[in-house]
Amino acid sequence: MPLLEIENLTVQYHTLRGAVQAVRGVTLSIERGRALGLVGESGCGKTTLARALINVLARNAAITGGAVRFDGVDLLQLSGGALNDYRWRRIGLVPQAAMDSLDPVYPVGVQLVETMRLRGGLTPAQARERAARLFALVGLEPTRLRLYPHELSGGMKQRVVIAMALALQPKLVIADEPVTALDVIVQHQVLRTMRELQETLSLSLLLITHDISVVADLCDDVAVMYAGRIVETGSVREVFAAPQHPYTMGLRNAFPSLRASSARLVPIEGYPPDLASPPNGCAFAPRCPFAVQRCWGDDPVLMPTGGGRLAACHRAMEADVLRIQAPQAFARLEAIGSQAVEGGAPGGGIP
Amino acid sequence: MPTRFSFLASRLSQTVLVLWVVATLLFLIFRLMPGNPLVAYIDPNFTAEVQQALLRQFGLDQPLHVQYAVFLSNLVRGEFGRSFFSREPVSQVMWQVLPNTLVLTLSALLLAYAVGVVGGALLAARRGTWAEAWGIPAVLATRAAPEFWVGMLALALFSFTLNWFPSSGATSPGSAYSTWWAQVASWDFLRHLTLPALTLALYLQGLPTLLMRSTMLEVMDEDFITFCRMRGLPERTILLRHAARNALLPVVTAFALGIGYSIGGNVIIETVFSWPGLGRTLVRAVAAKDYPVAQAAFFLIAVVMIVMNFVADLLYSLLDPRVSHERQ
Amino acid sequence: MSGSERAAALPQWTRAAATWRDALLVTWAVARRDRFALAGLIIYAVLLAVALAAPALAPYNPLDLNYRPDGDVAANEAPSLSHWLGTTNLGRDVFSQVMFGTRVALVVGFVAAFGVVVLGTLVGLVAGYYSGWVDTILMRLADVAFGIPFLPMAIVLVAFLGPSIWNTVLVMTLLLWRDTGRVIRAQVLSLRTRSYVEAARVLGASHVRTMFVHIAPNVLPLSFLYGSLAVGWAILTEASISFLGFGDPNVISWGFMLQDAYNSQAMARHAFYWFVPPGLCIMLAVMAGFFIGRGYEELLFPRLRRR
Repeated sequence: MPLLEIENLTVQYHTLRGAVQAVRGVTLSIERGRALGLVGESGCGKTTLARALINVLARNAAITGGAVRFDGVDLLQLSGGALNDYRWRRIGLVPQAAMDSLDPVYPVGVQLVETMRLRGGLTPAQARERAARLFALVGLEPTRLRLYPHELSGGMKQRVVIAMALALQPKLVIADEPVTALDVIVQHQVLRTMRELQETLSLSLLLITHDISVVADLCDDVAVMYAGRIVETGSVREVFAAPQHPYTMGLRNAFPSLRASSARLVPIEGYPPDLASPPNGCAFAPRCPFAVQRCWGDDPVLMPTGGGRLAACHRAMEADVLRIQAPQAFARLEAIGSQAVEGGAPGGGIP
Repeated sequence: MPTRFSFLASRLSQTVLVLWVVATLLFLIFRLMPGNPLVAYIDPNFTAEVQQALLRQFGLDQPLHVQYAVFLSNLVRGEFGRSFFSREPVSQVMWQVLPNTLVLTLSALLLAYAVGVVGGALLAARRGTWAEAWGIPAVLATRAAPEFWVGMLALALFSFTLNWFPSSGATSPGSAYSTWWAQVASWDFLRHLTLPALTLALYLQGLPTLLMRSTMLEVMDEDFITFCRMRGLPERTILLRHAARNALLPVVTAFALGIGYSIGGNVIIETVFSWPGLGRTLVRAVAAKDYPVAQAAFFLIAVVMIVMNFVADLLYSLLDPRVSHERQ
Repeated sequence: MSGSERAAALPQWTRAAATWRDALLVTWAVARRDRFALAGLIIYAVLLAVALAAPALAPYNPLDLNYRPDGDVAANEAPSLSHWLGTTNLGRDVFSQVMFGTRVALVVGFVAAFGVVVLGTLVGLVAGYYSGWVDTILMRLADVAFGIPFLPMAIVLVAFLGPSIWNTVLVMTLLLWRDTGRVIRAQVLSLRTRSYVEAARVLGASHVRTMFVHIAPNVLPLSFLYGSLAVGWAILTEASISFLGFGDPNVISWGFMLQDAYNSQAMARHAFYWFVPPGLCIMLAVMAGFFIGRGYEELLFPRLRRR
C-alpha cells in the first residue's frame, strides 16, 4: 500500500472575484521511501495542494472534495485534534520562503526545541541534544542554535526549516520549493543534503517545484501538474526521457541543459487559464501545438498508458511521434502566437 | 552591536538637539514678552537684596547673548529663580509637584496598558464578529470624549452623588505624613488618586487597545504563524508565545512614548481634579503670571517627554533583535 | 502601519482623487461601504446645518441673562418648556449656548484642520521631493515639533499672544502639522521614483510643477484622511484650552460652557443638563471625524479585508 494516496482532491478559494478552483481533482500516490517530484508553473496549485494535505490553508480556502489517505487513514475525515496528531509527527512540511517561516524574536534553537517539547514530549535536555544532532544532520554547526533568524543566511535558514521538519521523525516530508530562493551553488548543496537525508532516514518525500532540473536531481518519480490537475506521472527517468503529455514535452524544451548546449530554448507560448472560470475541455489546449477538435470540448482524464505511467491527453498513444515533432511544433506556436480563442482552429501537427 | 549603538547614538544627539531648541524657545518667549524683560524673573515685590541676587544670578543686566549663556547654564543646574508667590526657590516647588504627576501618570498608564493589551488581543481574537464591529467604535468614543468632561461626569457621579471618592487634591486637608513614601502608600492618598487615575486611564487605553489589535492582526497573517500551525502547535501557544510576543514590540514602545505624551496632557486631568502636579502648577502659574514657575514647569514637562521618547527608542532597540539604522 | 508602509501600499486610488470631483466620489464610496463613516458624515451634516441655522434655532441670545416672571434671575433652572436644557448659574439659556457653540466648533475645527493639513502637506511634499539638506532641516524641525508638549506650549503661547480664538487656531497649526508632514513625506518618497514623475522631469517640467501638478494630486487622499482626523483634534484642543481658562472670553464655545459649569460648581449641584450636552457634542463631533477618517483609511489602504 502506498504511504500517501490522494484521490480526486479539490480545493477552492473564495475571492472577491468569485470562487477559484485552485485544485481540480488531483489523484496522486507516493510509495514508501521514494521521492516524488511535483512539477508545475507558478499558480498551478502546487502549494495549495501541499497545504491541503495537512489542512493548513488560508482563511478563504476550503477543501471541497476528495480523499487524502495516509497509511490507509483518510485525513480529511479526521477531526481537528486527530488531524493535528498527524501534523509534524507523521507529515512534515518545509514551506516556501523559509526565511519568513521563522519567528524573528526567538533564536532558531529555541524554536526547534519548542517543537520537540510541545509535540514530541521530550524533556528540555533531550530536546536540546536532538536539536544539536539535527543541525549536524542538515549540515549546520550546532553553535548556530543560539542565533536569531536574521543572523543566518538564506541557505542556512532553509536548512533550519528542514531540520525542524525532521524533528519528530515523520514518515513523509513535503518540501515546497525548498531551494528556489537560493543561489545555484547553495541549491546544489541543500539538494544533496536532502537526498542524503532521504536515503539515510528512509523518508518519503514530496518535492514541489517549478524547476524540473531539481526533480531530475533528487526524485525517483515525478508528477506534472497543470491548471490544478495532474497531467502526467511516472518515474523520473521515463517521463523525462519519453514524455507523454504535450505540456511535459514543452517543459523539457524550455529548460536549459548544460550538455545539449546548442539546442535552442523554446518557451511554451501563452498563459495558464484563469481558474475562476475553468475551461470545459483540456486546460492546455490553447497552448498545445497538437490540439485537435476533441481537445476543446472534452476534458481528458488521467489514464494509464502502460508500465505504471499515467497521462491525461487524448493523443497520449501517439506520444512517441509527437515527441519528435515537439521542438518545431512549439517553435511554430511561438512564432504565430498561441490560440487563445476557445474552440479555435486546431494547431499544427498531424491529426 | 555596532548597528544598535550607532542608532542610539544618533537618537541621543537628536534628543540633545531638541532639548536645546526647546530651551532656546523658552528663553526667547520669556524675553520677548512685552514690557520689562526683567519681569521674567523679578517681581517688584521682592526685597531689594533678593532682586539684586537674581539680577546677578541670571545676568539680567548683561547683553542678550550673555543672558542666554547664563540661562543655559542655570537650566542645566536646575536653577529657575524664585516663585513670585511663594518666594520659594522654584526648584523646590518643582520637587514637590513632580512626584505627584509621575505617580498619577504611571499608575494611569500601567492600568491603561494592562487593559489595552488584553482588550486589543481579545478584539483581534474576535475578528469579524459583532463584538469587534461595535467594540472599536466604543474604544474610539473613549478617545473622542474630552478628558475634562469625563472627569466632570466622574466627579458628579462618584464624588458628589455617591460620595465614594473625594473631589479634589491628593490628600485630605490637614493631614501630614512623615515621608513622601508614607503619604503615597496611605489609604487617603489612594482614595484621592483613584478618580483622576481611572479617568486618565480610560482616555489612555484607547491607543494600546487599538494598537495591540492592529499589530496582532498583522502578526497573525505572517508566515511564521502559519508555520506554527503546520507544526501543530496548540493555538494558545501560538497566540501568546508567538503572536503576542511579536505584537508587543510596538505596544511597549508606545508605552514609553505614552509617559512622555501624557505628562503633557496631564494638565487637564490635574486641573479637573485639583491634583497638585506639574500640569496644574503650569496652568496656575501662567494664569497668575508667576513666570519663573511657569518656565520651570513647562521645561520639566518638555524634558520628561523628550527623554521618554529616547527611552522608547532604547527599549525598542533592546527588544527587537532586528533593529537597524533606518527606523522610521 | 508606519508611514512608509502606507505609502507602499497605496493602490489605484492614487489616480482616483486627482480632481476634486473624484475626491467627492471617493467620499461617497466611503460612506456607502462603512456605516460608521456614514454616521460620521451625517453628524457633520447635522452640525453644519445647526451652525448655519443657529440664530433661527436658538430661542435666546446665548449671552443674555434671562428672568423669571417674578423678576428674579432664572438661574440654575432645570430643563423646562421655556428652557429646554435649563439655565446656567447666571441665568443664560443652555440650549442656545449649545447651538451657537456649534458655530465656533466647526469654524475652529475646519480652519485649524485646513491649516494643519496644508502646512503638513507642503512640508511633506518639499521634504520628500527635494531630499538632501532641505529634507534634513525640515525633519529636524518636525522632531522639534514632536518634542514640544502640545498643550503646555499652547497654554504658554496663547497666554502671551492673547486669548483669542484665532491665536488658538494659529497655535494648533504651528504645532500639529508634524504628523501629516511625516506621513506625506514618506509617501512622496515612494512616489518620487515612479515613472510618470521621471517622465515629467524629462519633458522639462520644473521642480515646482512636478511637485504640485504631478505628485501632489496623489497625496491628496492621504491629506484628506488626516484632515478629517485633524478636525476632531482641533475641536478637542480648542475645548481644552477654553476649559483651562485660556480661551476667548467673548466666544461661547462648548469648552467655555464646560469651564463655566465647572467653575460654578455645577457638578456639586447635579446640574447634568448644563455640562452633559456640550461634552456630548464635542464627543460626537470628534467621533464623526474618527469614523470618516477610518472609512477613508479602509478604502485607501485595505489591508484587513473582511470576507
